[in-house]
Amino acid sequence: MSGSGPDSNGGALDALAARLLDASVLERVGIAIASTAMALLIGFVIAAAAGYDSIRFANQLLVGAFGSERAIARTLRSTTIFVMTGVAVAVAFRAGVFNIGVQGQFVVGGFSTVISIIWLGAFVPSGTVGGIVLMLFGTVVGVVAGGLYGALPGVMKAYGDANEIITTIMLNFIATGFVGWLVAGPFGAPEATATRTRRLPESVELPQAVFGDPNLSIVGILLMLGVVALVAAVMTRTRFGYDMVTSGYQDTAATYSGVDAKRMVISTMALSGMVAGLTGALFVIMIQGYYTDPSGIGNYGFDAIAVSLLAANNPVGVLPAGLLFGGLESAGSHVQINSDIPVQLIDGIVGLVVLFVAAPELFRMFAARTGLGGDAE
Amino acid sequence: MSGSEYLDAARLRLGGITLVVLAVLAAVLALGFDVDLSRLITWGFVTRSLEMATPIALAAIGGLYAEKSGVFNIGLEGFMIIGAFTTAGTMFALGGTSPTQGHVWAAILVAVAVTTLLTVIFAVLLIRYKADQIVAGLAVWFIGLGFAPFAAALIWGSRSSPGLTNINELALGQSPLVFLTIVLVGVAWVFLYRTRYGYWVQAAGENPEALDTAGVDVNRVRYATVIFSGAMAGLGGAVLLAHAGNFVGTGSTMVDGRGWIAIVAYLFGNYNPVGAAAAALLFGALDMLNVQFQTVGIEVSARLVNLLPYVAVLVVLTIYGKTRIPAVVGEPYETEE
Repeated sequence: MSGSGPDSNGGALDALAARLLDASVLERVGIAIASTAMALLIGFVIAAAAGYDSIRFANQLLVGAFGSERAIARTLRSTTIFVMTGVAVAVAFRAGVFNIGVQGQFVVGGFSTVISIIWLGAFVPSGTVGGIVLMLFGTVVGVVAGGLYGALPGVMKAYGDANEIITTIMLNFIATGFVGWLVAGPFGAPEATATRTRRLPESVELPQAVFGDPNLSIVGILLMLGVVALVAAVMTRTRFGYDMVTSGYQDTAATYSGVDAKRMVISTMALSGMVAGLTGALFVIMIQGYYTDPSGIGNYGFDAIAVSLLAANNPVGVLPAGLLFGGLESAGSHVQINSDIPVQLIDGIVGLVVLFVAAPELFRMFAARTGLGGDAE
Repeated sequence: MSGSEYLDAARLRLGGITLVVLAVLAAVLALGFDVDLSRLITWGFVTRSLEMATPIALAAIGGLYAEKSGVFNIGLEGFMIIGAFTTAGTMFALGGTSPTQGHVWAAILVAVAVTTLLTVIFAVLLIRYKADQIVAGLAVWFIGLGFAPFAAALIWGSRSSPGLTNINELALGQSPLVFLTIVLVGVAWVFLYRTRYGYWVQAAGENPEALDTAGVDVNRVRYATVIFSGAMAGLGGAVLLAHAGNFVGTGSTMVDGRGWIAIVAYLFGNYNPVGAAAAALLFGALDMLNVQFQTVGIEVSARLVNLLPYVAVLVVLTIYGKTRIPAVVGEPYETEE
């Protein structure tokens, strides 16, 4: 984060900021591509060292992510979740609040959605209208629950001076453990052999997208695009967003301009948690249809941190970054079925992408040394 | 001065509260549920608690050294997974499915060496290339979660190993690794609070400029602590495996959050090695108390009981707010030429 000093000349500052932003956009794109390429390359080398055909593996990754209509649908399905959780992370990181707890907020939101829909389902007639009422109600509950679970570490930071990195990590484990207990015990479906809640009513169903994938809906894709557009607009075009981003760059400057730092932390965390909760709601309504033990649900909220960083915490940049992670996850399902390479290799490659994304300096220095990439600051 | 006195008072109060809570719990169980406490607190329970606590304590000591010096090593969990897997893999390479005790010790050494080497790379990324400590640490976790089961599947055709062997007890029914851990805890405490090098570690996290002025290379101190933290987490994973006797790579692997609990342990112990080890023992006992409850027929969800450390650390961080996080954790240090 380059905190440029205060400047009396607003116009010049804006111009400078715009130029920095342009440069950093190009640079970030370069870093993102380099990180991914390097991680994939290491993955291929490891596959070759383990005695597999790397070219075939690479081909399978591509086919598994984009090779068929089914693959594309699967990729888009994961992408919606990665993009939305990524936006949740980006909101907080932009404001200088390190919300590592998106996973927990995603879990709490999704679980609350399931429980509230099942509860209300008993009173609402089945049918399309009833289904829409249930989905809207469940989504609102999920958003509120995720928002509250996000606001909690915000309150702890604002009034208890508790470091949000640590508290949100702890709250992830508490969410996973507690929801896991609820799913196995009080809210477990008696008739199911697996650990899960009862299924959502039949009427809770989103219209399918053009692909014949029952777990991908055009509504989900539109929601994803809507969230990206809305958050981008809030950040760049509203007073609240301006204050939030200012707090992220320099909190003293924000305080001088009249921002209440405590309230800012709490509202940022709440907003981030609400987006995560909304993602949880979409995840259960569009994809899962019930809730399982969250320890087996996937690391969407953790990978979202990498998605957001890959996008330099820019909500619009989260789209391609989320697509990359969605593609890798989709390729994983393909490799698992169609290849004898242990699919955990792809998990490892994702880990490497995250590692390289964490170290942009690595590529900057490399670029500076080889003279590539123009001016490295 | 008054700050540290206040801290001591706070810590004493915390320790006192913990003891009172434990006493009340014991009384409730004995009187309310008519439980024979001698059946609940057995020698086997003590042994299992110690076994459970050792990997956590080892990783916690490593983690607190790194954080004391100003680097948050959030990758402990990942290094533990790699340590546990490497131990199993080495044991299998040396002695097949029936390794000897010598093989077990050799495997532990190899695991520590491997995690140390990997941590060198990690440390270079963090310190030289100023990688984001949180994200890089998460990456280590993902890498461990991915590559360890991947390698296990290559070797054994499944994400878990067949039964190998576990380490023999040394005395009092305890494994030698328990004694090793106790010694390491003591050494870590003396080194941190009673030697010059220990002060360097603390200064690197509290006031790096002063340390730099005194002619000590801050980043070198940090390299040492970060590499030490990875080695200790690797040792923790190796000890976990040596006690368990086989590698489990399904789900969140056999490490199953112990690296994260290690972070909780040192926060709870306020970055003091002895305090961190005591917290690790408390969490280990809490975990094993679930088993004891089952044998005496008390129905408590193990899953909920195991959440207590996380809840406790949240309360401590928020209410006391005085777990002294070193001043410059997370900030790369630039030498002023």
